[in-house]
Amino acid sequence: MALQVYTASLLKEGLVAYLALENGHPSWTSDIHQATVSEGDALDALKKAAEQSEQENIVVAPYAIDVLKTEDGIVAATKREQIRADGPTIGLPQDNLRESRQAA
Amino acid sequence: MDNYIKDRKIDSNEWMPFTGLEDGGSLPAGDIYVPLEEWLNARETLLTRNGRLGIALRNTDDPAIIKDDLERLDLVVLEFPKMADGRAFTQARLLRERYGFKGEIRATGDVLYDQLFYMQRCGVNGFELRDDQNASHSLKAFDEMTVTYQPAFDEELPLWRRHK
Amino acid sequence: MYQYSEQDHQLLLERVSQFRGQVARRLKGELSEEEFKHQRLRNGLYLQLHAYMLRVAIPYGLLSSEQMRTLAHIARKYDKGYGHFSTRQNIQYNWPKLEDVPDILDDLAKVEMHAIQTSGNCIRNTTSDPLAGVARDEIEDPRPYCELIRQWSTFHPEFNFLPRKFKIAVSGATHDRAAVAVHDIGLRLVKNETSEEIGFEVYVGGGLGRTPMLGKVIRKYLPKQDMLTYLEAILRVYNMLGRRDNIYKARSKILVHETGEEKFRELVEAEWEKIKAGGLFLRDEDFKWVKGFFNDPAYEALPDQDADFENLMLSNADFARWVDKNIELHKQSGYRIVYLSLKTALQPPGDVTADQMDAIADLADKYSLGHIRTTHRQNLVLSDVQLKDLPALWEELKALDLATPNYNHVTDIISCPGLDYCALATARSIPISQAITARFDDYDFINDLGDVSINISGCINACGHHHVANIGILGVNKKGTEVYQLTLGGSAREDAAIGKIIGPAFEADEIVDAVGKVLSVYLESREDPEETFLMAYRRLGQAPFKERLYG
Repeated sequence: MALQVYTASLLKEGLVAYLALENGHPSWTSDIHQATVSEGDALDALKKAAEQSEQENIVVAPYAIDVLKTEDGIVAATKREQIRADGPTIGLPQDNLRESRQAA
Repeated sequence: MDNYIKDRKIDSNEWMPFTGLEDGGSLPAGDIYVPLEEWLNARETLLTRNGRLGIALRNTDDPAIIKDDLERLDLVVLEFPKMADGRAFTQARLLRERYGFKGEIRATGDVLYDQLFYMQRCGVNGFELRDDQNASHSLKAFDEMTVTYQPAFDEELPLWRRHK
Repeated sequence: MYQYSEQDHQLLLERVSQFRGQVARRLKGELSEEEFKHQRLRNGLYLQLHAYMLRVAIPYGLLSSEQMRTLAHIARKYDKGYGHFSTRQNIQYNWPKLEDVPDILDDLAKVEMHAIQTSGNCIRNTTSDPLAGVARDEIEDPRPYCELIRQWSTFHPEFNFLPRKFKIAVSGATHDRAAVAVHDIGLRLVKNETSEEIGFEVYVGGGLGRTPMLGKVIRKYLPKQDMLTYLEAILRVYNMLGRRDNIYKARSKILVHETGEEKFRELVEAEWEKIKAGGLFLRDEDFKWVKGFFNDPAYEALPDQDADFENLMLSNADFARWVDKNIELHKQSGYRIVYLSLKTALQPPGDVTADQMDAIADLADKYSLGHIRTTHRQNLVLSDVQLKDLPALWEELKALDLATPNYNHVTDIISCPGLDYCALATARSIPISQAITARFDDYDFINDLGDVSINISGCINACGHHHVANIGILGVNKKGTEVYQLTLGGSAREDAAIGKIIGPAFEADEIVDAVGKVLSVYLESREDPEETFLMAYRRLGQAPFKERLYG
């Protein structure tokens, strides 16, 4: 059984968020490393908390994703989820422009 | 209480849907509406009643089928099975603008706040709101927009010809 | 440009306040996400991979400098300092917050802009030729017709819940710069052979996506007076008969295909007969009124030559290259049309920073009568520049990284946002476009290749129009890896064609080489430099390309 975390989009901001459960208290964090990792039956608690947050209009469309525990912490298993966790793989256009002008 | 709006007022629904003809029982009194198939099968029998009569169309039916019957009808019920399915908007306009129907055109199904404005523009004047909708709040939806560009049931001409 | 009337303004204010209410109802939980989705999409608001994405309409690609400054302001205040020009001539912001969107719409409304119907299953922003009104090959200016379509389609009560999205494009010139054949409805302005009257050749059922199809000519000649009644008839047939059982079969192209061209035409013509004399019939007064908004600006009478310009052409090779690639002749003597290339190795195709937007607005005021156009190939246009100003404009554009001489050349790549931004994408497209640009970013090579198009989509929905590129690249996810399929031979112009897949897909680190091989085959096999890539491909067929790629 794969390790999983719950992710969703924050309703107000639209930003990517991960579910952290501490002593049964749910909170949503933008940092996948802070997410609560679970597997098997223990996932049910995460699922319930995520659905609760959806009903309370805190997040939109929560779902579970497979993750791996590595030396660098939690890493999403798929490219798509890695990009969701880390942001676009290309720099912001203004940063690229600035760097190129500095180099010139 | 009925979650029903007629002519932009909260109203009580006096109409009964009726699909029991095939059971051979007697026809109910009062105002009833029947599915199109029953009308096509039992037109003459239905016309012997005293109460008012309506027909419910599926949103795949061509309203032309009942164009010659419209004078005898007081109600046509249209279905919006889900919000995204907009076929009945066309049916409403055809009933009003092409076939001159003067009775009530009623929207049923996923009849939601944000569609009322468009439905009204197409000639719908009866609204069986979905159960979770608040009827008195929904009355506001009719006036959220006051500017309309194109002709429809409520306007004969496009905006650019009206202000000249 | 079209000037808003009091009622146009009123409509936008009402729409903003309506949307503000919808957002409030959503935040309070009175609207479910499913129901809100229909509402927010009708106002251009998506929930994407990282955040909400707001698509702002640029009707038929026309912007004033004041509007461009507002777009910059929005990028700065509510987003991360940039925007993305799309293949439908609109602009997208990648990071707005839901609670800010009503305020963004308020700011847009002040400059007669909005996000109405930029998404959702309704009639989308009408697109057109970016050179409308200034092109030399124009039969008539399409913009007045686009404006009539804009008004007719905005909040059309009957057609706001269609089976699927519906796109209309209008071209008024001999050369098709609006890709009319790949729209649900394409209108090509034509002159009646006998009467000399203006009308339209009407295409229907074109579209890309997972089942690409070229539009079929449903009518060779439609008098212009009948434009809107005919559109209404097509939409009505589509609304009633378009498939709603399968989202992938719901576009008009499938209806036309499954119904058959002939039968579909009969249905439309029969419906049209019944409404052609109705309120949408267009009279001479209507044309006169709407054309009044698109009169030529007060052009100066200028010679079509300039000594300083010619001297610089001779003395500065870089300037000459830019002129050769990015300047187009203008219908008015002494004026030129200038393409601002949004395609460099530094920025994703179509991305513009807020600072660039402000600078472009200033340049438009200084050199181009305040007008800016967006193109479906994700570039910008300054449409009315005096020949004598080209040297000065070039210097300023260079400083902004907007003077890459590559318009309609190999590094002028169309790319969708791909998996870096898009929730639907299955592979990244921007890094591939950047890698191709980096590899071929050599003027002599670009120049030698001549007219060729590369388009990249990050999934089968084909927002990057890969089907109609000479060289199309489609990113797909194969067992967790991003791989890229090549299609060759497409065109979005008057010789429109859907490209064909050449063979098995390439890994991300192979695709640039594969494109290089395709280009080599062309360079080695062309009869002379006048034979473009597309002409050569049509003559040679797939075989030599296949042989080089997989042999």
